[in-house]
Amino acid sequence: MTIPTFILKNALRNKRRAILSISSVAASLFLLVTLQVALRELTLPPESAGAELRVAVRNRISLTNPLPVRQRSLIEKIPGVAAITPFTWFGGKYKNEGGMTFAQFAIDPKALGTVFAEAKMDMTGYQTFVAKKDSCVIGKITADKYDLKVGDRFSLDSTVYPGSLTFEVAGIYSGTPDDRNMLFRQDYLDDSIGMPGYVGMWWLKVTSPEAMPGVIATVEKSFANSSAEVKAESERAFQLGFISMLGNIRMLVASISTVVVFTLVLVAASTMSMSIRERFRELAVLKALGFRRRELFAFILAESFGLSAAGAVLGIGTAYVLYTYGNISQMTHGILISFEVTPRIIGFAALVAALLGIVSAIAPSLAVTRMSVVQGLKTLD
Amino acid sequence: MASPDNIVVIRDLTKRYSQGDIEVTALNRVSLNIATGEFLALMGPSGSGKSTLLHIIAGVDRPTSGECHVQGVDVARLNESQLADWRNQNIGFIFQTFNLIPVLTAAENVELPLLLTQLNRSQRRKQVAAALDLVGLSDRSHHLPRQLSGGQEQRVAIARALVTDPALIVADEPTGNLDSHSAQDVLTALQSLRRDAGKTIIMVTHDPKAAAFGTRQIHLEKGELS
Repeated sequence: MTIPTFILKNALRNKRRAILSISSVAASLFLLVTLQVALRELTLPPESAGAELRVAVRNRISLTNPLPVRQRSLIEKIPGVAAITPFTWFGGKYKNEGGMTFAQFAIDPKALGTVFAEAKMDMTGYQTFVAKKDSCVIGKITADKYDLKVGDRFSLDSTVYPGSLTFEVAGIYSGTPDDRNMLFRQDYLDDSIGMPGYVGMWWLKVTSPEAMPGVIATVEKSFANSSAEVKAESERAFQLGFISMLGNIRMLVASISTVVVFTLVLVAASTMSMSIRERFRELAVLKALGFRRRELFAFILAESFGLSAAGAVLGIGTAYVLYTYGNISQMTHGILISFEVTPRIIGFAALVAALLGIVSAIAPSLAVTRMSVVQGLKTLD
Repeated sequence: MASPDNIVVIRDLTKRYSQGDIEVTALNRVSLNIATGEFLALMGPSGSGKSTLLHIIAGVDRPTSGECHVQGVDVARLNESQLADWRNQNIGFIFQTFNLIPVLTAAENVELPLLLTQLNRSQRRKQVAAALDLVGLSDRSHHLPRQLSGGQEQRVAIARALVTDPALIVADEPTGNLDSHSAQDVLTALQSLRRDAGKTIIMVTHDPKAAAFGTRQIHLEKGELS
């Protein structure tokens, strides 16, 4: 027998309790990892390839206020602007879906090859999109979800505009960080809805990253004191603006994570205390045989640490395997595209497990080190 | 003060402890010599202080005043860590309720005190086998305590007590939980340890039949030798 064997035998002496302890640590760490990954996904959207050259221009009052189409000709003339497209939210419901399940935007069809050039699609699809007014292109995730193919026709009931529009699928794109959106033509929307002259917002492509600050300043200045003042910002800044609206979600996730960790500490500490309390007499015997306080502390710590480590391997490992090799998009019905368990998150969860092992060993260890052999021997089995 | 023939020399040993608001004197100025190779039966009624005296000699309790020298070492002057090492090297414990670790086999229980020594695994195994052989339990080495009878459990405890080859073995009511037949076996084993291995044994008992196995009997009454 060796010291590690002795510790292992002690840790597993009550197998049911050991399994339940490991399971509770595993479940809690799985939840912690899930929350941390979800928080990361919500607050750090993946950056697309063309982001460093894109500028979002929206109404200064709010994103829901439209912009007059006349702004386009002025913006196009600003030095450093390479391309421009309207970007208008349609808010359509697909078939019998209860709500909006994917976003639809009206754009200038040629923007697909300029402003959003990272979207990969075959040339025929692009040509059809440019040629046919009622055509649309759909991200691969949404196309797969609804089994939509090139040439299919379908209608969307708008939650923003009165009535519905029918579209023909011209192509299916992929390669963007979020291949869920549907893009259709602004002129089709204008003709059908009868509200020509307004767009939701503008997306610009600038000639170089160096040109971006100048373009942003000039765009804002150009419409200052007009009936539709604008706010221009880089794509990253625009995304972060959205994220700031998630402030409460961040706090909520952080609060839940804290509660999970706190509960975990209580459960583990209680289990370890119970386990050690039952062995007070045995620990007194070990003391009598010559084991020192620090050795008994090491035994308890190793046992507690071992249970936490086993739970961590199980919980973090399950989360890693599930989110790395599972189809998260399918699991969440397309709500989440990626769910990456980063080394940082694994490290954080492992650190929580390690601290858990240490913290839960403190109280029983103190009790054992304070106990005299005589007191311990008087403890009832 | 200490004769070379005395393994234990006790002078004016007093032990008081508090029980709520009441101060109890467990031992009152006890003086005692125990010769090397002696099998001392320490007798007395419950509460007479015999277990307290045994605990102080074995270094698991400290006196309030007085001196307790074991093999020339003033036990009360050692700190916790020194005392733990000293116990491991010099004292073998036998308890009334055996106190074996239930998840360890007989051999592993006997091996426990050896984990604190510098011996390697094969040396430890050899000593464990020798100790179990001495108490006649070689064939039970892989049995868990629950698979042994009370007498066998106590003999495993005896093997654990002597595996480090201590000079002094202290036994606190070693037959208290045994039937007469098993008690006889255990006492015979202790007797042979003294006779064949030259161990000094101090045994607390209130059973005169058990005490008769000792080479000397002393009585404690209300914390004093009578």
